[in-house]
Amino acid sequence: MKKLSGARIVIETLIQEKVKVIFGYPGGAVLPIYDELFKQKKIRHILVRHEQAAVHAAEGYARSTGKVGVVLVTSGPGATNTVTGLTDAMMDSIPVVCISGQVPTHMIGNDAFQEADIVGITRPCTKHNYLVKDISKLASCIHSAFHIARNGRPGPVLVDIPKDIQTFKSTYNGKKLTKSISFYKPILKPPIEQISKFVDLLKSSKKPIFYIGGGVINSGLGASKSLNTLLKVTGFPCTQTLMGLGATPTSDNQFVGMLGMHGTYEANLSMNKSDLMICVGARFDDRITGKVSGFSPHSKKVHMDIDASSFNKSVNVDLLIQGDLSKILDMTIKFIKDKKITFKSKSISDWWNQINKWRSKDCLSYKNSKTVIKPQYALQRLDTLTKKLNPFITTEVGQHQMWAAQFLTFNKPKHWMTSGGLGTMGYGLPAAMGVQIAHPDGLVIDVAGEASILMNIQEMSTIKQYRLPVKIFILNNHYMGMVRQWQELLHGNRLSESYMDSLPDFVKLAESFGATGLRVIKPGEVDDLIKEMIKIKGPVICDIVVDPKENCFPMIPSGSSHDQMLLGPNDKLEGEISEEGMVLV
Amino acid sequence: MTESHSKHILSIMVDNEPGVLARVVGLFSGRGYNIESLSVSEVDSDKFLSRVTIVTSGTKNIIDQIKAQLLKLIPVHNLIDISELKTFIGKELILIKLDVKKKSVSKIYKHVKDYGAKILFDNRTEMIIEFSGTPSEISSMIKKLRSFNIIELTRSGLVSIALGKDYIKK
Repeated sequence: MKKLSGARIVIETLIQEKVKVIFGYPGGAVLPIYDELFKQKKIRHILVRHEQAAVHAAEGYARSTGKVGVVLVTSGPGATNTVTGLTDAMMDSIPVVCISGQVPTHMIGNDAFQEADIVGITRPCTKHNYLVKDISKLASCIHSAFHIARNGRPGPVLVDIPKDIQTFKSTYNGKKLTKSISFYKPILKPPIEQISKFVDLLKSSKKPIFYIGGGVINSGLGASKSLNTLLKVTGFPCTQTLMGLGATPTSDNQFVGMLGMHGTYEANLSMNKSDLMICVGARFDDRITGKVSGFSPHSKKVHMDIDASSFNKSVNVDLLIQGDLSKILDMTIKFIKDKKITFKSKSISDWWNQINKWRSKDCLSYKNSKTVIKPQYALQRLDTLTKKLNPFITTEVGQHQMWAAQFLTFNKPKHWMTSGGLGTMGYGLPAAMGVQIAHPDGLVIDVAGEASILMNIQEMSTIKQYRLPVKIFILNNHYMGMVRQWQELLHGNRLSESYMDSLPDFVKLAESFGATGLRVIKPGEVDDLIKEMIKIKGPVICDIVVDPKENCFPMIPSGSSHDQMLLGPNDKLEGEISEEGMVLV
Repeated sequence: MTESHSKHILSIMVDNEPGVLARVVGLFSGRGYNIESLSVSEVDSDKFLSRVTIVTSGTKNIIDQIKAQLLKLIPVHNLIDISELKTFIGKELILIKLDVKKKSVSKIYKHVKDYGAKILFDNRTEMIIEFSGTPSEISSMIKKLRSFNIIELTRSGLVSIALGKDYIKK
């Protein structure tokens, strides 16, 4: 068999893994791989302007397609720049394979030029990582990386390849995995007894609620479909986490809104007062639970997840079902159909009456203005005017992100890309690039704040180079809004360093990158701006100057429980926030 | 609600590959778990397997979480919680170096004999004692010898094995 260089083997394995596009940035330690990229036509390389953006773009690509996102970077700074992106992918369970160059094997440990112990650095922020020191193991390491990234609970995997390994020669024998990977066998199907117990709980429940997380979206379209069927069969209410939005249509009447710190009144109270909580692929994150001792104190809890380490981590549950959600849900539906079980009852309609009472509080209402644009209003208009086009929405992190989650409609999975676990400012723009690469004809909108967008603004150059028609919807309030909100609420309104001074002229900034810049300051102009934005074929930066003082409600202050929500600016905290609450993030 | 902490001995079968110990130890430090004792060595050179024994403590939830997190590591093949089994043996090895004064020699020899320890080296000024036993036997041994001049000592960390059919699968 013909011997190939390590660099060539990298390309062959990627082709074998059906990789169509990689996001990267060249440098000394990956030059042989870039040389091989140059010589082939099957894989498209997208040149980003910062390696962090390469990972976020790969995440956006992965989240909107369900495929593994691929990153290629050089050693040292190239590799260390990916750390935030990899941690982000780890927290949100996004399948990413990151290939990094490394100094030649004989130089490792020598503090060589552009050397960093990236395998050591990324050990805690990847699902697994490899340093390939033997050319004969190169192909199996890369194939294993893909296998690990996409199976079980997805996550990022890094493969570090020293430069000499890229030039050594070996044969490529097709897709083979490393020896130890054969022990990696995620449990996919639960025993039927657990399904039977679960259905018993469903039957006996009077105040049930489905609590849906990003695991449903990771499990695939089948899981979303089955979950929707289960919701229709039971008629039970459902809430979704930030990561779960769109798992089932949020325009559905059974959806009571997002839950958690900035969730709706009805979602949080339904959780608090329920007698059965069915957690489907969520992980009882602290943004969701608030004070754990006050979290849904009277409910039986069912938790479905593929990852055993998610069970009983922060909240103890009564029934654990480990497996792939689409399989668990299918088994449940079949069980219900076979036994001809129905769920209509007086107590369920009483429960709905109660929920509808909470709903009538209209907790997302805000005081609109004729003179200044309210951020909520801008997003409501964005939703109304783009809904039919099924846009892909990415966000940065902060108030705008929470408002986007509250006010936009998500009727399809894989259309909402936001940094949930890590809360990475600067995520949205590169993620939008990745989404747009995967969906060239889709409408891709990055809902941003003026502070976050500056964290990866260099990617405008990438957007220009690949003519990506990404729409950037900046809600510009001249503050790091969420920081300011916490300072107002918890730190005596001392707005320490949260004012965004010296902002660029976003219109001119857009123009300097060959994009269109649009700016509005009056509510009456918002509709025209959005219509114009949709009409323009190329990239657009919209600078929407919004009320600088608006805050995001409802809000559960740190250290409080679901029934202690602040519904609006006139709600005052009951007493001081406890010391315990003050130290929470 | 305060749950009781209890001590657990985890025996973990891992691939003997570079970085595997860092993964295991990093998991403990990164997530704030405690390692009271750690011992690791290759146990199967054909299959490149190492066995790690970790003594840790925590509530039931914490121990369950530690096990679940360990099992997620790719090079971890299997683990057992030895302390949850009915019968098991846990032993540690200690080496102690003593600065010896003439008048104390006979006393030291008596202690060594009482404990079933071994003298590996004795040149009348310095003595090296080897002893293996349960952690409490070792502590009591150290206590006994403390009245003499201990120059240094080193302990291997606990290794443990269960009786009967509860052995760790490769």
